[in-house]
Amino acid sequence: MGDRMKIGPVIARAAGLLAIAAAAALFVNTLSPVGIPLFGQWNAADGVVSAGGTAEAAEREGETVSVEKARAVFDADAAVFVDARPKEAFFRGHVPGAVSLPVRAFDERIADFWERHSPEDSIVTYCSGRSCEDSHRLALLLREAGYEKVRVFVDGYSGWVAAGHPTAQGEEGGER
Amino acid sequence: VSKSRLHHPRLELVLRWVLGLTFVYSSVHKIAAPAQFAKVVFGYGLFPPASINLVAIMVPFVELVAGGALLLGIWPRAAALVVETLLVLFFAILSTNLVRGVEFDCGCFGFAENGVISPAGDYLARDALYLLAGLQVLLYKGRRKWCLLQTDNPAFSPPPAG
Repeated sequence: MGDRMKIGPVIARAAGLLAIAAAAALFVNTLSPVGIPLFGQWNAADGVVSAGGTAEAAEREGETVSVEKARAVFDADAAVFVDARPKEAFFRGHVPGAVSLPVRAFDERIADFWERHSPEDSIVTYCSGRSCEDSHRLALLLREAGYEKVRVFVDGYSGWVAAGHPTAQGEEGGER
Repeated sequence: VSKSRLHHPRLELVLRWVLGLTFVYSSVHKIAAPAQFAKVVFGYGLFPPASINLVAIMVPFVELVAGGALLLGIWPRAAALVVETLLVLFFAILSTNLVRGVEFDCGCFGFAENGVISPAGDYLARDALYLLAGLQVLLYKGRRKWCLLQTDNPAFSPPPAG
């Protein structure tokens, strides 16, 4: 039987492919400008999780807020919540009173935002949660634009919803 | 479907190329943004913290190498084995999160425009289709078309002694 399945050599070659992939991965990651450290910060108890990229940079410069803290800030009306997600996501649901400033449309929208909010205003940015970096990127961009009190609500909209906090739908400004 | 049709060389070629293209394509955005992919891996909620960056660095290249090997026909059976293993792992991850009811970004073919997340059931169905396609490529016994190096084919192994 020439076509008898011989699995040993196949597994050996599969292992070879894996070794090639691992070597290429480490090589490229080391040289790449977007490469990440081999170990990141993924213990939520130790603070905000990140692979060591944008989020880490954002957090070195500023504070983050937990779901409870975000709710306290919300109740005290002590900060402007700024939603970094695309407009459609904002439309489907957002933190009541939040301002939509999609990070991808930052350049077009910042002038308008600047007119309505002074650099002294407290700002809390958020996106969909811990698996997105947009809140961090938005915080960096806002700081570059001159806003001094920018914090990131890392658990984002999904954390807000999971905690059972109130939400609003549709365009901004129609609630609260 | 008859057995002979399942073992048709042209079917093998089509499925192998579809799988290869899919895996190469799905690796690109992950390689371009490893930090973002690491967050997605974290979002699966299944990996120990110390392994997350390593998974995010390695897995896309496994996809790229295995997908490329399928496309070029280099050790196609070994590449199919790697791809099937990945698909089984993805299936386990997706179904675990489906059972848990966790909404998450699978990060499979692109990163979700934050907040836009497809139901895990869709991902599972797609994964199952790829698994079936991969099975044909893995178990195919004849000579394969358009292969640079198919020495892992049974057709090439010497007849067993005795």
